[in-house]
Amino acid sequence: MTAKEVVAGVRWYLREVSGESGYDRYVEHMRRDHPDQPVMSRRDYERRRQDMRAENPRARCC
Amino acid sequence: MRTKSRTRTVVIWTAVALVGAVAWGVIALVRGEQISAVWLIAAALGSYAIAYRFYARFIANRVLGVDQTRATPAERLENDIDYQPTDRRVLYGHHFAAIAGAGPLVGPVLAAQMGYLPGTIWIIVGVIFAGAVQDMVTLFFSMRRDGKSLGQMARDEIGPVGGVAALIAVFSIMIILLAVLALVVVNALAQSPWGTFSIAMTIPIAFFMGFYLRVLRPGRVMETTAIGVALLMLAIVAGGWVQDSSLADTFTLSPETLTLCLIGYGFFASVLPVWMLLAPRDYLSTFMKIGTIFLLAIGIVVTLPLMQNEAVTKFASSGEGPVFAGALFPFVFITIACGALSGFHSLIASGTTPKMIEKETQVRFIGYGAMLMESFVAVMAITAASIIDPGLYYAMNAPPGVVGDTVQSASQAVNGLGFAISPGELQSAATAVDEETLVARTGGAPTLAIGMSEIFAGATAASLKAFWYHFAIMFEALFILTTVDAGTRVGRFMLQDTLGNVWKPIGRVSWLPGLWATSAIVVGAWGYFLYTGVTNPLGGINQLFPLFGIANQLLAAVALTLATTLLIKSGRIKWAWITAVPLAWDAAVTLTASYQKVFSDNPKLGFFAQRDSFREARDQGEVLPPAQDLGDMDAVVTNSTVDGILAALFAVLIIVVILDASRVWVKAIRAREPLPTTETEYVPSRIIAPAGLFPTAEERALLAGAGGGTARTGDGRFSRAGDREATRTGGET
Repeated sequence: MTAKEVVAGVRWYLREVSGESGYDRYVEHMRRDHPDQPVMSRRDYERRRQDMRAENPRARCC
Repeated sequence: MRTKSRTRTVVIWTAVALVGAVAWGVIALVRGEQISAVWLIAAALGSYAIAYRFYARFIANRVLGVDQTRATPAERLENDIDYQPTDRRVLYGHHFAAIAGAGPLVGPVLAAQMGYLPGTIWIIVGVIFAGAVQDMVTLFFSMRRDGKSLGQMARDEIGPVGGVAALIAVFSIMIILLAVLALVVVNALAQSPWGTFSIAMTIPIAFFMGFYLRVLRPGRVMETTAIGVALLMLAIVAGGWVQDSSLADTFTLSPETLTLCLIGYGFFASVLPVWMLLAPRDYLSTFMKIGTIFLLAIGIVVTLPLMQNEAVTKFASSGEGPVFAGALFPFVFITIACGALSGFHSLIASGTTPKMIEKETQVRFIGYGAMLMESFVAVMAITAASIIDPGLYYAMNAPPGVVGDTVQSASQAVNGLGFAISPGELQSAATAVDEETLVARTGGAPTLAIGMSEIFAGATAASLKAFWYHFAIMFEALFILTTVDAGTRVGRFMLQDTLGNVWKPIGRVSWLPGLWATSAIVVGAWGYFLYTGVTNPLGGINQLFPLFGIANQLLAAVALTLATTLLIKSGRIKWAWITAVPLAWDAAVTLTASYQKVFSDNPKLGFFAQRDSFREARDQGEVLPPAQDLGDMDAVVTNSTVDGILAALFAVLIIVVILDASRVWVKAIRAREPLPTTETEYVPSRIIAPAGLFPTAEERALLAGAGGGTARTGDGRFSRAGDREATRTGGET
């Protein structure tokens, strides 16, 4: 593994874990499965996601 | 070729077993001289590796029968909201961040009162045979039921009685957990302007991050977290300046004031929109949590500290220890819950994680593997608590009623316990970390911070000790406050859900008066225990921590009972011991502890004996130490009554759940064939993904055969070859 691959791997992992790549996945999901429907802007998508989180609180353990 | 790789496997695993065995041998046999912490780490890692490779694999393949051809709920119900097939390494991170918190750090520190050996053995053996099994099995059963929650499954599989008991157990553990964790924060920040300032600053930092993410740069989580962490470091450094400035008095708060601040914070944080405070805090605390755990592991390996604590102290058998009352059995197993066996995890393993898991075969890596990691955190915590001077440990962890409030009284009390520390040494230990005093700083966080600051200062520079101490305090307080916020929300959600059955409007999440009222009830409930804990003359941690442990192990009993029931119902009675043996152990521990807490006639141990002796004295107008006036006497009487009733309630709940379940067991055994299953139907999976961290040769071949590495999309922006090792078969991609 080269240093470049390691950096790319770490970046990929952090983007996935932090949920930053969620929007990209959403766009891909919409294009693949619902090509006829409009795709939300990033701002709207992130808002919807945050507001949804309020309705489904996740426990953090001790 | 095949025999060659087989030989290699045998050689590697023999070596791992040898390392583990040698480490255990050193720990067990060396007496009378200090051993290096490295042996504990080696014993832990060796045991985990063997358990993961053999026992967890056996459970996954033979007992549960994970099926790589079967689609998971994430694949079948993918909706871009909660059901989402997630890369196993990413989900491991999410799951670990959700299960690991202050529990595995605090419990082992308190349990160090019995010596490092009992705690370490329980952490390692407990996780292998109980804790990690519970997490994996619960995850598996929930995954086979579209991610149903523990409460729902208990209702469906055991019956309404078991279901209600489970619900009460979940709610009460939530309240006690929040109170105890908040108490840890209060004890860590009281009279410490540095700590209080740094923690207070996390609120504006989180607001800023929330605003940044919502308005300025939506979705740029990493960038926002980087800014937040930088500001956080600045807040820790600035705390040192505040300490030495005229602002110091403003941030020097009494425990009572801090309690009111925390209760107010808990209420407002839980009614504000998630994006303002909770979400950004969660990013910060997760980052700090994982980062600090990594640092600690590196620090221990670099500095190779020696254990100062005894292997087994006299308190293990006498039960007279000052930190918490009671003998080794059952109280070590109650005090160390998270890290060995934590019922709370079954809520996570039956919540979000089963809805995101990509392949059935991954339950071993995520369920069992993440719990091994948490156990490792607990081993590091007991190490950090055991490398500090025992005299200092007892001066910090005994309640104020025992050690008084000066270095002289503490030194005397510690000598009385059979350990030694001079007033001068106590003072200089406090000065070294820029704290006014370290006497009676109970709760585990300050002790852990001292241990961590010794390790980190050893690995960096001695002059940084005060910084590292406050860094460690910040790290713990930060994610405890996140848990307080998130836990209040979860408790409120449960309350709204339950009350909504009686009166509809209160169940509506968007109806603000209902939201405020239910939040106030939840905050009021844990706030009550927090306040009584802070003002309890007998010491809040001493009194409340056992209750927290009992509640947590009660929840574990519910999860293990459910798992045993499911194994028996599905005709796998010959494998039921996998969960039935840990259940029997857990029930024995929890019921013995509750029994002693309720019926012991030793007032230090039994809540009702304590109540009686204080009430009799009060009625005669006497004041028993450590109480200082009749008001204190009243407080002790009330607290011990409430705590005693709770301990009894927990015991009754366990008995009810197990009895109700055994009714189902008898029915299932009599039926002679498996009872109707509640699993969702088999749907073939089209995702190919490795089961463990590293893909095996076979999995690589499968992935390559299905066009592996290209993942599920042609969009090169985020799925580069080799990153996402999953692929979907079929025509779509």
